[in-house]
Amino acid sequence: MADEHVPQQQQQPGGAPSSPAPSGGHSGGYSGHSSGPGGPRPQGARPGPGGPPKRGKRNFVRKKKVCRFCVDKVDYIDYKKAEVLTSFIQERGKILPRRMTGTCARHQRWLTVAIKRAQNIALLPFAAEL
Amino acid sequence: MEERQYDLIFICRPDTPEADIDKVIATLEHTVTEKGARIEKTDKWGRKRMAYRVSRLREGFYVYMDVRSSNGEVVKELERRLKVADAVIKYMTIRVDEELKRQEKLKKHRERRAARRPRKTVPAAAPAPGSEQTAAAI
Repeated sequence: MADEHVPQQQQQPGGAPSSPAPSGGHSGGYSGHSSGPGGPRPQGARPGPGGPPKRGKRNFVRKKKVCRFCVDKVDYIDYKKAEVLTSFIQERGKILPRRMTGTCARHQRWLTVAIKRAQNIALLPFAAEL
Repeated sequence: MEERQYDLIFICRPDTPEADIDKVIATLEHTVTEKGARIEKTDKWGRKRMAYRVSRLREGFYVYMDVRSSNGEVVKELERRLKVADAVIKYMTIRVDEELKRQEKLKKHRERRAARRPRKTVPAAAPAPGSEQTAAAI
């Protein structure tokens, strides 16, 4: 879990924060989103511990996201434990994508099933009410 | 046929007296034993807030059951009974034995690997922190 400052030039016009984006799991939505769907990151292309963001370049402080289930060595994601699952859904009830949470493919597959089961028995919302 | 494991969850109206819920549970138990299956565990989760409204209710009394059966007909009969029961507003049956079996398998696999690891990682552990440090330095 080494904090690595990965400078990355972004082609995305506007909207990207010039200051180091918060990289707190799924809540820091933008930093996760900007990593794109998978793909090898240009890590270590530019050495140096970040420092203040330079003008004209968009630098990000990105924490390497690790699958939480792999860390805990989970073999079965229980749909009955709704508290665990709530951290993997959006406020309105959507399932968060892998690129936001850092969940590995295998666990995301199990997680999806578990969330859908929990929804069916009203432990989790399909769509949050206003 | 080998035995299958099902999770059965049903939700009762929150205003049902406890005795009525027990009655529902008793009828289910009766059906299960009649069909030659068994209930491994019955767990009353109690009143819980539901994530969305069911039959215009926001709360419900959750009951969980662990049913073991080698006959799928049991589930059919149980669901029919739940459908008929007035107090029950929602129910769900899920077959879980295959996933639990997979879990067992993975666990065993991990244990076997962990048992084998000690002598393997000792020589490998020496360069590992070094490489980590260099990675951190970069």
